[in-house]
Amino acid sequence: MSFTKKIDEWMKEVEERPESAATIVRLAVRRLRDLSEQNEELLAENIALENGTRVDEYQKRITHLEYQLDMLKRRFGMDGSKLDNLPIAEEITSTLNLLVYNSLGRIFRVELDADVKEVGTLTGEMITDHEPPRLLAVTSNENLLLLFTSGRVETYLASDIPMMQLGGTWTWEHAALPSEPHAGEVLACVIPFSRLPLSDFFLQVSRRGFTKKGLTSLSESILNNHFIGRGAVHKSDQPLDLTLSRNNDLAALVTYEGKVIAFDVNDLSYTTDERIKLTATDYVVGAFTLPANSYVLCVTQNGKVIHRESKSIDLAKSSASKGQALIPPTRLEQGVRFMGAAAVQESDQIAILDAAGRINIHDVSAMMGSGSVSAEGWTGVAVSMGLIQADGRERRVES
Amino acid sequence: MSLKVGIDFGTSNSGVAVYDGQHVRVLPVDPKNVQPEVIKTVLYITREYRSYLGHEAAEAYYRDNVNRQRRFVKQWAGEIDYRGADMHYVRDIFVYVDELKPGRLLQYLKTALRKEGYKGTQVFERFYTAGDLAKTYLSLLKRRAEDVLGEPIHAVTLGRPVKFSESPEQDQKAEETLRQAAHEAGFKEVDFELEPIAAALYYEQSISQSQNVVIFDFGGGTLDIAVMRLGDSNTRKVYASGGVDIAGSDFDRTIIEKRMLPHFGYGLVKHHPEILEMIHAIPDWMALPELGTPINRTVLDKAIQAKIAPVRLKALRELIYNDLAFTFYNRVEAGKIALSKESATVINLEDKNIALWEMYTRYQFEADIRHYLNEVEKVLLDTLANSGLEPGQIDAVVKTGGSSNIPLFTEMLTRIFGADKVKESNALSSVVGGLAIKAAM
Repeated sequence: MSFTKKIDEWMKEVEERPESAATIVRLAVRRLRDLSEQNEELLAENIALENGTRVDEYQKRITHLEYQLDMLKRRFGMDGSKLDNLPIAEEITSTLNLLVYNSLGRIFRVELDADVKEVGTLTGEMITDHEPPRLLAVTSNENLLLLFTSGRVETYLASDIPMMQLGGTWTWEHAALPSEPHAGEVLACVIPFSRLPLSDFFLQVSRRGFTKKGLTSLSESILNNHFIGRGAVHKSDQPLDLTLSRNNDLAALVTYEGKVIAFDVNDLSYTTDERIKLTATDYVVGAFTLPANSYVLCVTQNGKVIHRESKSIDLAKSSASKGQALIPPTRLEQGVRFMGAAAVQESDQIAILDAAGRINIHDVSAMMGSGSVSAEGWTGVAVSMGLIQADGRERRVES
Repeated sequence: MSLKVGIDFGTSNSGVAVYDGQHVRVLPVDPKNVQPEVIKTVLYITREYRSYLGHEAAEAYYRDNVNRQRRFVKQWAGEIDYRGADMHYVRDIFVYVDELKPGRLLQYLKTALRKEGYKGTQVFERFYTAGDLAKTYLSLLKRRAEDVLGEPIHAVTLGRPVKFSESPEQDQKAEETLRQAAHEAGFKEVDFELEPIAAALYYEQSISQSQNVVIFDFGGGTLDIAVMRLGDSNTRKVYASGGVDIAGSDFDRTIIEKRMLPHFGYGLVKHHPEILEMIHAIPDWMALPELGTPINRTVLDKAIQAKIAPVRLKALRELIYNDLAFTFYNRVEAGKIALSKESATVINLEDKNIALWEMYTRYQFEADIRHYLNEVEKVLLDTLANSGLEPGQIDAVVKTGGSSNIPLFTEMLTRIFGADKVKESNALSSVVGGLAIKAAM
């Protein structure tokens, strides 16, 4: 039906019921306004196309995509010719490694056996610059991003870090130093970032509960400039963690004094904002994305385990939230504090470093079942923990 | 105590009511709905065979389906025997199945009961007959009503149209299927009442003296008419009843055929039978969801690349492949309902590649459905003639059902019986209220 005929029909309605004229005009005007706005946008687009700014923008996007493709190739360990024969199922060409690093930038790498429970023992100074060593499970072909407290970043391949012997005794002097901290800074965290092309945001979290979101599409400039920013407002604060997240992901923070808070990454601003109000003595010990149907598992300093289903954590909409308390006030008075936390599935494992320097691997299901960490020779004091996801286990070498 | 309720199992909406001898209570069985006493007759069955109804069904459908991923896999569907004069061979038949499809939304369950030749539908691995669908819906509805009442329901009076079908065999079969479905849903006693008579019983509560009444029950699936003597239970009498398979869903279909199809390429696509077939399937609520096959997608993609009505065909592709059918039918229905009060409305549907906007006036709507008016008037006058009464002998004409609010039909009733006699009953609860009264008798 032609548009003219439609207009004739609208006019007939007006002839039949003159009072309908107002409604028809109102609806037509509304439509006209919408179309005019759309027209404006299209004209702007047209100008952008004509003067070439859109072309520049697309070229930048192509460069970024090429960079991401390069990252993916490195992750899967393949060159261009192999891409055509890309298998549908991911071929396992890497092994599961555990990294142990301290704030001075020293990193150990150890390849995990299929059934290993005792990873090794650290000797020497345990706490450096008030920070305990941290544990991170990654695949051997992972790209690592090192974030320093000044906001500087460096990249490094996990496979370039010399391997330590499983079950051995290690001293920090023998550890690799892939990037030495500059004066006035220490290593804040190491993150695996091969998943960068599949992520939408960087999420930076500071010790005092400040968060900053950044677009991963800016990664090229971040990596070229070796700088992402501190993500902290106060001088006394410092970056704790950097995670990659996707649109609509939920993230959670767990604090030393037992507070937990979950929030929608989409709700975060691109500036550094306070996400949780902490008391003067409190600070964040765990920051992670929170998948649906997972558990938030927290370990206290004396090895007790508290877990909650992710859906039971209230979503905080405002930045003034003080978080949900996981440690009862009476226990808090007795000095119970969290040492670390992670979002886990029942089939995952946790590597725990104790005060004697021993690193042991524990099944999450057993930890949640017994409510505590138990291992042979357990000193009763946990210093640090790292998550080993179940999907990484198949990458373990046969013992 | 054996609790008996009335259930109006309608084509578009359903309801449950109880009668305590003095008052009818229509139960709020769909608390999430704007009008909790009315529940949409839609059913959503997930891949795990969890079923939802009413507002929850629509919510689950939107949550699971819109903008979801699809993955088609070839699945063996059966085999066909080829027999010729000197040969016989068997050939395997494969169909493409979307293995990521999380669930199926089913509507017009009552129409399925009366549709000749409709055997049922495959929901993932299970085949649901029309009776199975009705059973699933009724059992969930029963549970909802029991939750509201806080006690078990044992018996039900179900409403039925005067004619499920023009064919007496099909009519009988439809009633039997519904009866069996109700039994399987957990009702120990099941009886039926004609929907217009139920509406009459409800209306009877509001009159104090005997009247000759025409009940004009015009809902989503059928038009049912009853000419009755009401007001005194001793002299209550049905003079005549009649009906026809014309109602709201036919008007929706007409609007789509006449006004919506051009937005999806009708009139612009000429020599592409596969695409024309898809366009012509749009008004069919059962056929549209089945169009989402990889072959159709390829056909549409090629046509769009070849610049054959690319904007319209992109809209068609979006409608089929982004599970927008339910939203689309709802928008058309909402436009139709709006025209009962407004003189003009807009039917619109916006998504990534769809920008459907159609201003629709009452004049256009009336022009589009005028051919139904003659049929409806004929059935009304035939039923009146069968009753032996003249229009002047009728004291009241009671309108009920959503379609009875369409001004074209109200004008027809006013023309035949006079404006003072045409009365509006509660369009969405008079039938269920009457069924509750009948259940308590």
